[in-house]
Amino acid sequence: MIDKDAAFLQRLLATFRIEADEHLRKIYSGLDELEKAEAAEQRTDIVEAVFREAHSLKGAARSVNLAEIEALCQAMEGVFAAMKRHEIEGSATLSDLLQQAADHLGRLLGAAGGEPDGEGKALLADLVSRLEEALPGENRAAEPKAPRAPLPPASPPRDPSSGPLSCVAPLPDTAPLHAVLTETVRVPTAKLTTLLLQSEEMLFAKLSAAQRVAQMREARASFHAWEKEWARVLPLMQQITSSSARATAGPGENSGAGTDPETLRLVEFLGWNREFIKTLETRFVSGIKTARHDSRTLDGMVNNLLADMKKVLMFPFASLLEILPKIVRELSRDNGKEADLLIRGEEIEIDRRILEELKDPLLHLIRNCIDHGIESPEQRRANNKPQRGTITVEVSALDNRVVLVIADDGAGIALERVRAALLKLGSLPRERVEELSDQELVPYVFQSGLSTSQIITGLSGRGLGLAIVREKVERLGGTISIETFPDAGTRFRIVLPLTVATFHGVLVRLGEHAFIIPAMHVERTVRLEREDVKTVENRETIHVKGVPVSLVRLAEVLELPAPVNRAAATDMIQTVVLSVAGTRIAFLVDEVLNEQEVLLKNLGRQLSRVRNVAGVTIIGNGTVVPILNAPDLLKSAVKRSAHSALPGIAADTRQELSRRPSLMVVEDSITTRTLLQNILGAAGYDVVTAVDGLDACSKLKGADFDIVVSDVEMPRMNGFDLTAHIRADKRLAELPVVLVTALESREDRERGIDVGANAYIAKSNFDQSHLLEVLKRLV
Amino acid sequence: MEANAAAGNHRSSDPEAAPEVRPPSAGCPSPLLEAEQQEILTARARILARPPEQAEAAAERIEVVEFSLAYERYGIELSYIGEVYPLKDLTRIPCTPRFVVGVMNVRGKILSIIDLRQFFELPDKGLSDLNKVIIVRDAAIEFGILADAILGVRMLALSHLQPSLPTLTDIRCDYLKGITEDRLVVLDGGRILGDRGIVVHEEV
Repeated sequence: MIDKDAAFLQRLLATFRIEADEHLRKIYSGLDELEKAEAAEQRTDIVEAVFREAHSLKGAARSVNLAEIEALCQAMEGVFAAMKRHEIEGSATLSDLLQQAADHLGRLLGAAGGEPDGEGKALLADLVSRLEEALPGENRAAEPKAPRAPLPPASPPRDPSSGPLSCVAPLPDTAPLHAVLTETVRVPTAKLTTLLLQSEEMLFAKLSAAQRVAQMREARASFHAWEKEWARVLPLMQQITSSSARATAGPGENSGAGTDPETLRLVEFLGWNREFIKTLETRFVSGIKTARHDSRTLDGMVNNLLADMKKVLMFPFASLLEILPKIVRELSRDNGKEADLLIRGEEIEIDRRILEELKDPLLHLIRNCIDHGIESPEQRRANNKPQRGTITVEVSALDNRVVLVIADDGAGIALERVRAALLKLGSLPRERVEELSDQELVPYVFQSGLSTSQIITGLSGRGLGLAIVREKVERLGGTISIETFPDAGTRFRIVLPLTVATFHGVLVRLGEHAFIIPAMHVERTVRLEREDVKTVENRETIHVKGVPVSLVRLAEVLELPAPVNRAAATDMIQTVVLSVAGTRIAFLVDEVLNEQEVLLKNLGRQLSRVRNVAGVTIIGNGTVVPILNAPDLLKSAVKRSAHSALPGIAADTRQELSRRPSLMVVEDSITTRTLLQNILGAAGYDVVTAVDGLDACSKLKGADFDIVVSDVEMPRMNGFDLTAHIRADKRLAELPVVLVTALESREDRERGIDVGANAYIAKSNFDQSHLLEVLKRLV
Repeated sequence: MEANAAAGNHRSSDPEAAPEVRPPSAGCPSPLLEAEQQEILTARARILARPPEQAEAAAERIEVVEFSLAYERYGIELSYIGEVYPLKDLTRIPCTPRFVVGVMNVRGKILSIIDLRQFFELPDKGLSDLNKVIIVRDAAIEFGILADAILGVRMLALSHLQPSLPTLTDIRCDYLKGITEDRLVVLDGGRILGDRGIVVHEEV
């Protein structure tokens, strides 16, 4: 435990050194500029900047318990603050003093973590007291007590071996100044992001390597089948060879026993062939072994690469939180409130992409604290609270996650107003709202459209804010919860993953489409009998652990064409129960495939926000699969059911059972294939697709079809050959075939008729109704 | 430089003044007749006089990638094109407008693909392969455009572009840079990329 803490402290110190180094450099350059700057206005800006740097460095030092650095920064900060207020003016002596202080900071940083020596301590005390003396209340602009050597123009020392800079009492080499400097490299984040994208692509390489191994194993199974067949003919072969041996032994008797030289040669060849294939098998098996080994190595390498890449993109929270003090100051002023801001744990690191996405939600919550939370000073006094409110922003690490707490000590959320607003919103029946306990009521503040503010101010009141906050946080794979206490305040607790990384998703299938539903919203998956679907007030419901839950078709919510799937027409149905902020709805899917780790990717700038879809991910076989947005799904489902009663799932699918004509589309172009599939699916056909003639042949073997619609030019087996193949097959001879093709010459048309196509449609003048009419005639 | 200056002079002067221009070689004995020499010089001067005009024309030339889409030929300025990619493994995204065909994975980046025919609200005409994706981009946005085939890259003089045809009344007009004599429809890449209507941003 102690070791762990020590290690943690070491890590913190390392981060601190890098951060402190940046602050120090900025302080140096600020001091430098200050000496040169003439215009008062310019000076004010510089002083402000240096002040902030000293302040941040102080905060950072405090967080790693470096009291000396903290004390020195504090003293420097005091001087800068006085300069800011124009209580003291910069002078040569003052700037010398500040330079020395900065130099000493550099030395302290170099030694950070180690024990300070006596001399260093003395120097520190001296510097601090002199800085304090420079302040107005004290002996203002007093002549320095100790004589000092003139300083060279300050510039951040770059060479760590340059030793101590000139200062009051030259110190022995306590530690090389800026030893950390050489260990950091500045790289534009854009470059790193590209790199990360590419490393993420390696994930696909890893997954496909594993899949290749699985395929090879499957292929190996055919060797077993081959072996079995051989075992059956082997005796026969032996019989032939032995009888021929006998024949050669005794040439006189029975020479015509089927052992003529040709047969013998064939048998010999078969023997050789068997050995040959066996050798192939052995090579194949060792191939599998190597492939498996490679796949495992790749797996480890990619995992390490990804983990390291992610670490590269980690940033301290400070970069996000540093904007807060100013915002809190300004917002409280504008709202006639008084508030202090406490920030803790800003040194904790998190993926830069999360920080970026977190900015808006964070600002929103801070606004909320000031607008809704903190009361006016008068009211606070009346309630026996300190006149100034406090807003706390606290970051802490929790296992592999980060907890961000935004709390205020204000009035808390007026739950009665939430209840009233909920009633007004009308998304829940009145009785339900009235039944809700205070505890149950709280999560509803995240509901879209709900606002307890009576007036819409510039800050809030539109009732969208918290819903958007939740959406953003959940998109990042995080969760947000809220606690509120009357008159004691409100706490928002956001738990975030350290990296955008991966979260768990449930892979579901709808017809030929696959979708991922974030697992955190999946309450459970339920498989039940079609009879278990009960209709309540014209809405279908199922019972989940004794509680009725409404049931909707996922395909319908996603506005997909009516599912055309024969497998769905069984007596069992598969549902996924989603739950968001207290609302639960069961979604009907065709199949729940598995649960897996997924990495959310954005849809790109053109698809800035798509209803019901949060993004996509790339799954094991390399396909891109949409990730659904659970809160959106629930909203859409509620909206849909408000508009129209859902068609009965039970009855509806029964009808599907009463048969739709089945049709196969054979087409190599993916767009055309999908277009045809959509047109024909919508026209009431049960559509199966094939990518070329060969694919079609194998699919035709597996099932019965009423008609085939095929392209002509395709790889492996073209449409003409496919048609010929169909005509040649006794079982399929009567199957109508429609060729849809870009080959429009008379010869091609004639060839189509020759091979036995029933219709020949040119792509250039393709017309949907024409095709449907032709199909109708043929089926 | 000198040539240009001479050409400039020449242009500014009267055509009758042309004989005054004499090359240094004029003094040398020449097998050519005076009139012939004069003719050559005039021709030369004319050629020399051309460069400024040519430079002007070059500035108004654009390089376009010509592609076919549903039996029509379109062109789009090369400067807006990132690359051309074969269309494979397209994933449809539900709840998107009709003109969004889906998304695909281009080296780890997800790119949305648009069907211009739908975006232009052209009537569905014919079936074609649509096997190519032209990736167009500017600083703010990037997406792919479906195409049947890439026909090549060619230079077009802007002056040869006809603004539009009276028969082209559909939505395409708004995104048109012009139409060439051989009826290549040149699209205004900047206008398509900058169109807010192409960005999908929808809440439930």
